[in-house]
Amino acid sequence: MLNARPDLLHGLAEADAARVLALGKKLVLGNGAELFHMGQNAESLYMILRGHIKLTLPMQVRGQEGNVLVEERTAGQTVGWSALIPPCRFTLTATATVDSEVLALSREGLRALFAAAPEIGCAVSLNLATVVGGRLQVFQAMWVREMQRLVELRCA
Amino acid sequence: MEMLLMGAVLALFGIAVSCLAFGAATRSEEDAPVAAKQPQPELAKAASAPARFFEPAPVPSPAVAAASRVPIEALLLQIENHVRLEQAAAESFMAAPDAALLHSRTMSPFVN
Repeated sequence: MLNARPDLLHGLAEADAARVLALGKKLVLGNGAELFHMGQNAESLYMILRGHIKLTLPMQVRGQEGNVLVEERTAGQTVGWSALIPPCRFTLTATATVDSEVLALSREGLRALFAAAPEIGCAVSLNLATVVGGRLQVFQAMWVREMQRLVELRCA
Repeated sequence: MEMLLMGAVLALFGIAVSCLAFGAATRSEEDAPVAAKQPQPELAKAASAPARFFEPAPVPSPAVAAASRVPIEALLLQIENHVRLEQAAAESFMAAPDAALLHSRTMSPFVN
């Protein structure tokens, strides 16, 4: 179980964090179990309570399709934020790489809570923006590094 | 007589053209500029090698051949390792944004 406050609940009072957590439904995933698949409708976002989740994208390797690692997430972190961002479809596939447990927070449940308690909605949305922004910045840097290598190869 | 002379001239002209064509076709690499004989990287050599009609297809370099022998699962693991290393490099750039850190050389053996 979690020792620290999950990234989605930073800045929330205990009572407010408890209201968010009360919406959740625990899911247990065995090693190798798929949590969601790229292209599916994203109905819930997931807070990882224990274990390890791998996010992958398909890539053609020697004519065969393989799932290539994009990101790894562990306890306290959030996956599946596509549930709150239109068009609400998963753009990655999430798989447990060890026995894991996640808390599924449904989009409808979260929206209803945010409407009833806007301060919770504001805090959770800011936390979500931090998660999304962090990933964007990491990928920007990774993309520029790959482009730099490509330029060096081209100009060699 | 005129016909004979014309025939002889045409025959000589034909022989001259044949000699020129033969010379051009059989010109060896020794005639090429010295710079072309310098050892080049594998890739550049393959790209600049003239295509010969009856020559067998070029044999891939040992490195390329070795890479193509690596099982796909091992290749995916190499890619996975590369992504992890690159992510760590990107995260260290985010901690202290700096052009030198952004373009630091990768430790990943996948691209080295």
